[in-house]
Amino acid sequence: MSGQKILVIDDDAHLRESLAEVLDLEGFACLQAGNAKSGIEAAKKNNPDVVIMDIQLPDSSGFQICQELRRYSKDFILIMMTGRFLSAEEKTQGFSLGADEYLTKPFDIQELCLRIRQLLSRKGK
Amino acid sequence: MTEAPKKRGRLFYKFLFVFLIVSLVPLGIVGYYLVNLSQVTLNRAISRDQEALAVGFSDTVSSYITNFRNVLFDAAHLEDFSSMNAGKQQALINHVMQLHAPFLELSVIDSGGQETVRVGRFVRDNKLRDFSNDALFGKVMKTGEFVGGLEKYMGSYPAITMGVQIVSSTTNQGTGVLIAKMSLTGLSSILKTGFPEVTHTQAAVIDTNGFLIAHSNLKEIYKPDAKLPDDILKILLQNDAKTGGGEIILDTGEKVLGAFAEVSELGWVVYIQRSVSVAYSASNEMLKRTRWMMLLVTVFVLILGYAVSLFITQPIHALREAAIKLGEGDFDYLPDISMPNDEIGELAHTFMQMSESLKVKTAEIMSAKEELERLNRSLENRVEARTRELKSAQDELIKKERLAAIGQMASVVGHEIRNPLAVINNSIYFIKTKFNASAAANPLDPKVTKHISIIESEIRQANGIIDEILGFARTRELNPKLTHLNAYMEDLMMSYPFPPHIELVKKLAPENPTVNIDTDEMTQAVRNLIKNGIEVMPEAGKIFVRTEVAGDMVRIDVEDAGPGIPKETLEKIFAPFFTTKARGTGLGLAVVKKIIDRHRGRVEVTSVVGKGTCFKLFVPLVTNNQNKQQYK
Repeated sequence: MSGQKILVIDDDAHLRESLAEVLDLEGFACLQAGNAKSGIEAAKKNNPDVVIMDIQLPDSSGFQICQELRRYSKDFILIMMTGRFLSAEEKTQGFSLGADEYLTKPFDIQELCLRIRQLLSRKGK
Repeated sequence: MTEAPKKRGRLFYKFLFVFLIVSLVPLGIVGYYLVNLSQVTLNRAISRDQEALAVGFSDTVSSYITNFRNVLFDAAHLEDFSSMNAGKQQALINHVMQLHAPFLELSVIDSGGQETVRVGRFVRDNKLRDFSNDALFGKVMKTGEFVGGLEKYMGSYPAITMGVQIVSSTTNQGTGVLIAKMSLTGLSSILKTGFPEVTHTQAAVIDTNGFLIAHSNLKEIYKPDAKLPDDILKILLQNDAKTGGGEIILDTGEKVLGAFAEVSELGWVVYIQRSVSVAYSASNEMLKRTRWMMLLVTVFVLILGYAVSLFITQPIHALREAAIKLGEGDFDYLPDISMPNDEIGELAHTFMQMSESLKVKTAEIMSAKEELERLNRSLENRVEARTRELKSAQDELIKKERLAAIGQMASVVGHEIRNPLAVINNSIYFIKTKFNASAAANPLDPKVTKHISIIESEIRQANGIIDEILGFARTRELNPKLTHLNAYMEDLMMSYPFPPHIELVKKLAPENPTVNIDTDEMTQAVRNLIKNGIEVMPEAGKIFVRTEVAGDMVRIDVEDAGPGIPKETLEKIFAPFFTTKARGTGLGLAVVKKIIDRHRGRVEVTSVVGKGTCFKLFVPLVTNNQNKQQYK
């Protein structure tokens, strides 16, 4: 179970790093990407089990990346992070485009890990 | 009433004036002529009376003198007087003198002119005189008799001398003369008796030379130079008429009424003089009475005129007063007129009709005016109400815009703060995990653990605040669903984490009403209220949750038994960002209000300081009909 690869995509370096390192601590192997382009590249290259990405990135909207990533693979778990409330429509749209979960910042790390593990086990990983 | 109306107007005085002119002027003229005429007539009559008196007295004087002449004549013509001797003649003459007091002296003179007998009252010597050359003797001898020779006897008594021829009865020849001196004071006595002093009348007898023979005032006679005043004498002596009279103004300035008459044969004049004031006293008296009469008549006419004028002008005056009242708008004032059956009465009648008509018209105008005012007021009220609505809508809009701006800003700020919060959260988690891993080998300072917990707690707090702000600012569309209130409330209370020191008392409406609500939002509203209730009772207490149907609304009560809210605070509690807590956004109740407003409901709050606070949320009740329509 442990050692699963998680790709964290966020333009906020502190958030990205702190999250990645905390997840490392929890036994995951974290990759980081600072923007949509490098995130997609990293995903293609490393084939992560989980992608955690900010819904708003400087070079692309979260939904576009969502679409692009899903076009490439439906295998990984996609978790969207947001700092604001999402409307029901936005949530619905995200789910339809392939998002598995939403996270509202800030989040409880233990809860997140638990959730990731649940999703992973559901996918049979 | 500003001014007491004049009781009598100008018309009254005009009437009075005209009445007085019409009645008094002819009266005055007639009276004047009447008085003057009668006075003149009366004065003339008085004057004539006085003349008649003078004539009468002239007769008296004449007969007085004649009487005594006759006495002498009788004596001289006695049958045997001429034949008597001197002694006998003397005895007879004495007898005559004793019988007739006015005789002062009696003498018998013979045909040769020698005095034979002499008898006198004041004669002492009795010396016989010679009259042969005396003119008087000669005259008597020639004519038979003589009366004249006025003198002041002994310088005092006016006296006259009379002489008659002594005739022998046998020869019928004159044998001598009987001469007598006679006092005339008797005349004065007669005058005095005729004109006593009280009559203020003086009478006198003078001869043609102005010699004062007699006077009604005896004192005048005895004066040595007795005579009438010169001015009167002048008139009397120059006058040729036998009788006459008239007014004389004396040198002293006194006005007198005089009358005179000539005494026949003697050529004397009787003069009677009366002071005009006395003479005319009767006419003056008449004048006085007439004047009194005039005055009385004037007063009577005045009173009558007053009454008549008043009688005529009173209705006009009353009409005027009524017209003034009418002008002031007093239509019920009826003039107090005993309606005369004449033009004024008709005028009054017309006035009444006009007044009545005016009253009706004015009432119509007044009612129209009132209607207009009422319309105006209603219009004003409507304008005011509309203005108020507009103002409140504008205020609401401004408030909404402001809140929207605040919401937008809060949303941005909240969002931006969430990232750093997430980072802090992650980092503290990292540190905590690291410390925990090495805790066995290197025991941690408990204070560090405590501060890590504080940081975690504060992150949660900050996150909660951002949630609240974003929740308030969020403008998502309402998503109402028909909901059975009781079941919904039961779920809500079941899921709410009530702390153990709080006792929940619930009482749900037996009707189990249906409401059309956005359950997410309504839950937030009710939870906020419950949360507040719990917060104000930190020790222990009861939270009452009730639902009730109230007309076409459903009421949800959340009541606590906390310290209550003071009245001045109560007004502000729904304002955004208003809070009394040490930590709080002041948005909890603002969110409640916003949510209930969005449900077309209303929020009420009652609070008693020291007892507790009750929030009442009213939301529309869905009736069965609406229910069916909704489900269709």
